[in-house]
Amino acid sequence: MIDVFLILQRALRTSLREPIALIPNVVISVFFLFVYNAGLSPVANLPGFHGSYLGFILPVAIVSAAVGGAGSAGQALIRDLESGYFTKLLLTPTKRLAIVWGPMIAGAIILVAQVILILVLALLMGLKSQTGLLGLLGVVVFAFLWGMAFAGYAVFTALRTKNSAAAQAATLAFFPLIFLSATFVPLEFIQSGWLKVAATINPTTYVFEAMRSLLLDGWQFRPLAIGLAVVLGLATLTGGLALYEARRATRLGT
Amino acid sequence: MNAADRSIHVERLTRSFDELKAVDEVDLDVSSGEIFGFLGPNGAGKTTLVRVLTTILAPTSGRATVAGFDVVQEANKVRGAIGVALQDVGLDPIMTGGELLTLQARLFGASSAEATSIATRLLGTVGLDDVDPKKRVKAYSGGMKRRLDLAMALVHEPRVLFLDEPTTGLDPVSRTDIWAEVRRLNTEQGVTIFLTTQYLEEADRLADRVAIIDRGKIVALGPPDELKKEIGEEVVSLTFETAELAEKARTVLAPLAPNIHGSGRELSLYLTAAAPVIPELVRSLDQASVPLSGLTLNRPTLDDVFLRATGKRIEVTDE
Repeated sequence: MIDVFLILQRALRTSLREPIALIPNVVISVFFLFVYNAGLSPVANLPGFHGSYLGFILPVAIVSAAVGGAGSAGQALIRDLESGYFTKLLLTPTKRLAIVWGPMIAGAIILVAQVILILVLALLMGLKSQTGLLGLLGVVVFAFLWGMAFAGYAVFTALRTKNSAAAQAATLAFFPLIFLSATFVPLEFIQSGWLKVAATINPTTYVFEAMRSLLLDGWQFRPLAIGLAVVLGLATLTGGLALYEARRATRLGT
Repeated sequence: MNAADRSIHVERLTRSFDELKAVDEVDLDVSSGEIFGFLGPNGAGKTTLVRVLTTILAPTSGRATVAGFDVVQEANKVRGAIGVALQDVGLDPIMTGGELLTLQARLFGASSAEATSIATRLLGTVGLDDVDPKKRVKAYSGGMKRRLDLAMALVHEPRVLFLDEPTTGLDPVSRTDIWAEVRRLNTEQGVTIFLTTQYLEEADRLADRVAIIDRGKIVALGPPDELKKEIGEEVVSLTFETAELAEKARTVLAPLAPNIHGSGRELSLYLTAAAPVIPELVRSLDQASVPLSGLTLNRPTLDDVFLRATGKRIEVTDE
């Protein structure tokens, strides 16, 4: 446990040492929030749509921040692979789990800070949460877990490719995840058959629905339970893959 | 040698990368308190063996124990008992020396207060205590990085220290500093040291025993002086214009010196006493009309040992 804490502490400290790298991610999310809200808010007037469009589109901004923030965990790992510090960590009795999950958790914590910033901004823009402050906290928890899941994926590809450009390219998974989903309109509004199928199998859809239920509908068990199962399942899967990859590296050599 | 005296025990150890056997059925024992030198040219398998013994690479077959623990089954116990400085330093460029040492000590189980004092002490040990504590590692020189990397290997007072080419690419002064530190650790703290090198002088001056490795196999093993004595007390090196002339000279000289080894335009004659033989040797070459370009008389070096075992000389390449 102390291992995870030490690795996490170091990952946070080094990330904050170059804070400039964290800025684009926040800017992009805030940009999404403003542009989509300004351009698409009449959607809220369509029959069958309830609540404010701001509350509807906010999860998209949050999830894109989560993906970008978590991708930085992969970048941090690549940096360690390139400097040889990753090998130095492998040579210590530190748990392999800590070496892999430390940067993942650090990535997720940084993104929580970014998400809080976005939430504050949305509140200033007039956001009203149907579940109050506790619901906003729920949104943050979903963002954290989603971030962990994506960080696991980023760390896994970093360990697998050991190459900065390849790991960067892998974060392109961001696009289908965010946009092949109930991104701009609710799932039942989607007309195109293929997009509807894609949105239904895309795990992001359930993260959006869970966050939207908190912001627009009040406390509802079903979307929260499904959303939680999806993010926990994904985070376990990608975190497990990353750990497996770290152990495999020892077996195969480089 | 009983098990308790063996710091490192290697049994028929092989590590392959696809078809290539980087380490090929190596057997080896290093006793506690010894400085063991592993000498060989680049690509001979030195680094692969170090990576297996330090648990970051799994063997293909065979087994090894370090400090009494199996490198595969008890990898974490091995890690706790050894210090490692690999050929490529592993330092995070955006951290400071003090931060890296403190974290390293904590990862080996020191408390926060202990870690701070260990870091301060080790910065002094490796002569980095006068460096600005805010200076990040990316601003360090190559020699400073190497010294910090050595300090990182010492935070937990390891029983066995692995140094993979600790002085490759260093200037002569830094090299001598590292040698002094290695010797001090060995004599004052009784640390067993496993050192790989491609420098003859380093192996010769530091190591109690030397193994010479070529293409994954150990080709000679023993104390440097004995290895050299085995091939003769003195070595006469002859140089010729061409490799053909060297080859011809070899035939001519065979009756005079039974122990001749050649490499290109050079011939090395290993003799118990050279002085009485030299006049006869020059006369024979003259009679056979083989012109001689150079003649030197030396004591054998480990390079001669390598030459006899492999038929070639050790080529040093700095990376």
